[in-house]
Amino acid sequence: MLDAKIPAGPLDKKWENYKGHCKLVNPANKRSLEVIIVGTGLAGASAAASLGELGYKVKAFCFQDSPRRAHSIAAQGGINAAKNYQNDGDSVYRLFYDTVKGGDYRAREANVHRLAEVSGNIIDQCVAQGVPFAREYGGLLSNRSFGGTQVQRTFYAAGQTGQQLLLGAYSALERQVALGNVTLYNRHEMLEIVKIDGKARGIIARDLITGKLERHFGHAVLLASGGYGNVFFLSTNAMGSNVTAAWKATRKGAFFGNPCYTQIHPTCIPVSGDHQSKLTLMSESLRNDGRIWVPKKKDDNRKPADIPEDERDYYLERRYPAFGNLVPRDVASRAAKERCDAGYGVGSSKQAVYLDYAAAIERYGKIEAGKRGVHSPSPELVRQLGVEVVAEKYGNLFEMYEKITGENPYEVPMRIYPAVHYTMGGLWVDYELMTTVPGLYALGEANFSDHGANRLGASALMQGLADGYFVIPYTIGNYLADEIRTKAIPTDHPAFVEAEQQVKANIDRLMSIKGTKSVDSFHRRLGKIMWDKCGMARNEKGLKEAIEEIKALRAEFWKDVRIPGTADEFNPELEKAGRVADFLELGELMCIDALNRRESCGGHFREESQTEEGEALRDDANFAYVAAWEYKGDSSYELHKEPLIFEEAKPTQRSYK
Amino acid sequence: MNLTLKVWRQKNKNDQGRFETYQVQDISSEMSFLEMFDVLNERLINEGKEPIAFDHDCREGICGMCSMHINGRAHGPWAGTTTCQLHMRAFKDGDTITVEPWRASAFPVLKDLTVDRGAFDRIIEAGGYISVNTGNAVDANAIPIPKDKADAAFAAAACIGCGACVAACKNSSAMLFVSAKVSQLALLPQGDPERSTRALNMVAQMDKEGFGSCTNTGACEAECPKEISLTNIARLNREFIRSGFTYEK
Amino acid sequence: MKWSQFFNTSIGKKLLVGATGFFLCSFVLVHLAGNIQLLYKDGGKAFNTYAAFMGHNSLIQFIAWGLKIVIVLHALIALQLTFSNRRARPVKYAISAGNQTSSWYSRQMAVMGSILLVFIVIHLADFWAKFHYAELPTISYEANGEPIKDLYSIVWQVFENPVWVIIYVIGMIGLSFHLIHGFKSAFQTFGLNHVKYNGLISFVGVWLFGILIPIGFAIIPVYILFNH
Repeated sequence: MLDAKIPAGPLDKKWENYKGHCKLVNPANKRSLEVIIVGTGLAGASAAASLGELGYKVKAFCFQDSPRRAHSIAAQGGINAAKNYQNDGDSVYRLFYDTVKGGDYRAREANVHRLAEVSGNIIDQCVAQGVPFAREYGGLLSNRSFGGTQVQRTFYAAGQTGQQLLLGAYSALERQVALGNVTLYNRHEMLEIVKIDGKARGIIARDLITGKLERHFGHAVLLASGGYGNVFFLSTNAMGSNVTAAWKATRKGAFFGNPCYTQIHPTCIPVSGDHQSKLTLMSESLRNDGRIWVPKKKDDNRKPADIPEDERDYYLERRYPAFGNLVPRDVASRAAKERCDAGYGVGSSKQAVYLDYAAAIERYGKIEAGKRGVHSPSPELVRQLGVEVVAEKYGNLFEMYEKITGENPYEVPMRIYPAVHYTMGGLWVDYELMTTVPGLYALGEANFSDHGANRLGASALMQGLADGYFVIPYTIGNYLADEIRTKAIPTDHPAFVEAEQQVKANIDRLMSIKGTKSVDSFHRRLGKIMWDKCGMARNEKGLKEAIEEIKALRAEFWKDVRIPGTADEFNPELEKAGRVADFLELGELMCIDALNRRESCGGHFREESQTEEGEALRDDANFAYVAAWEYKGDSSYELHKEPLIFEEAKPTQRSYK
Repeated sequence: MNLTLKVWRQKNKNDQGRFETYQVQDISSEMSFLEMFDVLNERLINEGKEPIAFDHDCREGICGMCSMHINGRAHGPWAGTTTCQLHMRAFKDGDTITVEPWRASAFPVLKDLTVDRGAFDRIIEAGGYISVNTGNAVDANAIPIPKDKADAAFAAAACIGCGACVAACKNSSAMLFVSAKVSQLALLPQGDPERSTRALNMVAQMDKEGFGSCTNTGACEAECPKEISLTNIARLNREFIRSGFTYEK
Repeated sequence: MKWSQFFNTSIGKKLLVGATGFFLCSFVLVHLAGNIQLLYKDGGKAFNTYAAFMGHNSLIQFIAWGLKIVIVLHALIALQLTFSNRRARPVKYAISAGNQTSSWYSRQMAVMGSILLVFIVIHLADFWAKFHYAELPTISYEANGEPIKDLYSIVWQVFENPVWVIIYVIGMIGLSFHLIHGFKSAFQTFGLNHVKYNGLISFVGVWLFGILIPIGFAIIPVYILFNH
């Protein structure tokens, strides 16, 4: 059985106790301890900066041309923190409870509580770094509400919160680079973990410009390489987001936790055609003011404006009166799918629902007119004022929608549909964020995380920064304190040589296939299998088929993929091929995990396990565990269980009615 | 629609480079500009040719990685839009589109349309930060900041570091980029302690990287996908003058 | 940062260009005020008296030499910046945005400045050098008054030739566009960009320095050409 090394004591004292008792490394020793960090998003950049500040010798790797490009930058809506600045009843416990409940009771209580505890510090830290959060006229910070909660605890910077937080972490990282504490390796991709005597001791990385393989030693290796949503080909992830780092770790003995937990985000711009390369998210914050509806009549082809109010079905408000349009993401996504599958979808593809701002524009317009002392304003004035208020709040999102679709969302309701957005699964880690390989850590979205089976909005940024700024600086010391006698291992050590040879052999194998089909064509096909059979709803038959299909596709890939160019130059096709090869293995594991979990929970919806009303039905008796999979060779995985024990947040049927 | 593309091809840093012409057929107006490139690349691969290398990642206009000079315009014809958000609606059937990489000695071409923008990172290293170690922060609301100042700081901080300002400027000046960061931090009280050194060091690094100087033509502002304002450049100038005239070291 | 370093940065150099530019702006204003006297049909009394005063007052002579140094400095630093700006883009674009993103004259400051520089050299050789170093006819306007050089007649003679008039008009077109951008641009370089004053700065830059003053200068040779 897996030991998560959760500290003893009452839940709200565990982290305090841990910090008080973990081992420390003295400053002189820190200087000779090297740490490798893969990925420079919120988790990676904040960890690199914080560990650099502490005095460790840090090497940070990213495949993009600059750490500032990491995909955390695209997060829009906000970051949660239990500050209770709004005096609306928030507390650390509430944030903890909402997160565990939102995650459908599949998260580890101790981790979540720690996350809630440090959430406030994150906001303090970011403000100190100069992150320009939205403010009220009094100069104090502003908050908005987000799905799955009844308090306003989300801090934001227009629709670009992720960008501002990442640039804050990036600047802290660049400061450490300037001070010589961190060395940056841009346009480098990690392709293998080097293990010596069972411990992670380094990586093999490929310089993406020259194609040269490099060996890097580290006393510890941190993976902060993000999620694997791109296994679906179409997702809101960046084109380069990949599972390679985490997957190489899996193949080197790190267990992969809950791979089937995928978050499908309800408010994305629908697919417009076969050419589509990625999907674009419209921030969840839009559900604060927008109303979601479909026509009450099937195959209603009227323009939305021509459909009268009483012929519209505001299905979220109808089904979930307590939370309405602000139900958690998994619930909102499934509800949209249910309506579209039943034939009520809108748009040319019929795979979309309306997100309507007409009511919000009118409501805000009236308030604004009232503020200005206009007592019976004309509808035109109401509209004009309302549009101004909405533009102030969501202007950049509306503009983005218009650029992509060519439709003006102030005039016509937006069309939205769920899309893959985030993966709650990832490398299994213990309380210290260490994987099952000693010295190998996973942070941020790359780990199986604190979000259970479903992540609440504005919690990903919180977790990434919590891991990087406030957790790993303590927990890594507890490990490295025992490593102070380990001298830096020269990279001509046989383990490095062997790892490099393995990587080289893999690249040579890919290059030598010289088949007929592009990497993208395989990726698209994999994505389709995953979306159809391991997407928003899953069943035994589909999953079994998917496993076979993926196996066949993988075999075809290794026979017939075509990669132009050579391996010793800048070759984006080769990069993609390596990543898709890993996705082709991961996809299978996701299906295996989904097949194993014969219950519905959070983002994982098994059609066999639902209530009469079509809500997800958990099976706590049999599945209240983290499924951690050990790689045992081709298509072979062994399941290890970490039982989840709920002392504070007792599992109940999640209800947002 | 059918289009003629003239695309800059360059094998590596040392290659001379040249334009190559491609015909693309059946392009949907719903496609993004980069999806049109995906279609072309897919075809080139099928024909056994080398696909065109270009930088891109988030494809939602925020990571700043995409960087194409399209028909003489950084990020193409739409104002306030990155290449990845540019859609084919902007063109009409039969158009010839010329696509070049960013051109600046500080941004050497790596391959085809991909350039090295490491100079921007080094400018940030020179002072584009507030020196606060993790754990040193006071409560976030202990520092009230007037809304207009916070909004202006945010508007400057919206810079995505794509380099369109450099690409658009006839002098390849990086002033808009540098000024956006200097402005953000100058507008906030947190940025005050390092105010003097920041402007001086970042400008010195900018010069060292080989960017040109600003002649206030305004092309950067016109091409910036995040519509960063020229007032930031004025603020950088003020910060620089103030520091140059008063800082003792 | 030492002064030498400060003024060696790109912004430092721009500040020098801007400061010298402002000084030259003030000069053209004064210069026009004097020159406009060429239009009086008083046999040159006002103008020649003014010229004699300007030519003999030592403070003015001191400023006049300073002015020449400022012109040279302005031109040299601006040229140096222009060349380093060109080096910043060794490979040019095949297609450029043209006027879609900036005004042509804002991009042609070096060209306009060079036209002006050539013009200034011609202008100095024509009048300033003659006035100071050549034998000029003299005239006295009062009985027993000291004879003063009759620059007025020389000017009137020169502008009987349409070629000279065209050269002067071209010079002033150069001045016009140089100042339409330059005046406002110098404010920006000094960091003076404020929504409450930008309108005024722009107005003064365009209408006073960019249009009125160059027209004022250009009108003199044109007027003489048609009225001699």
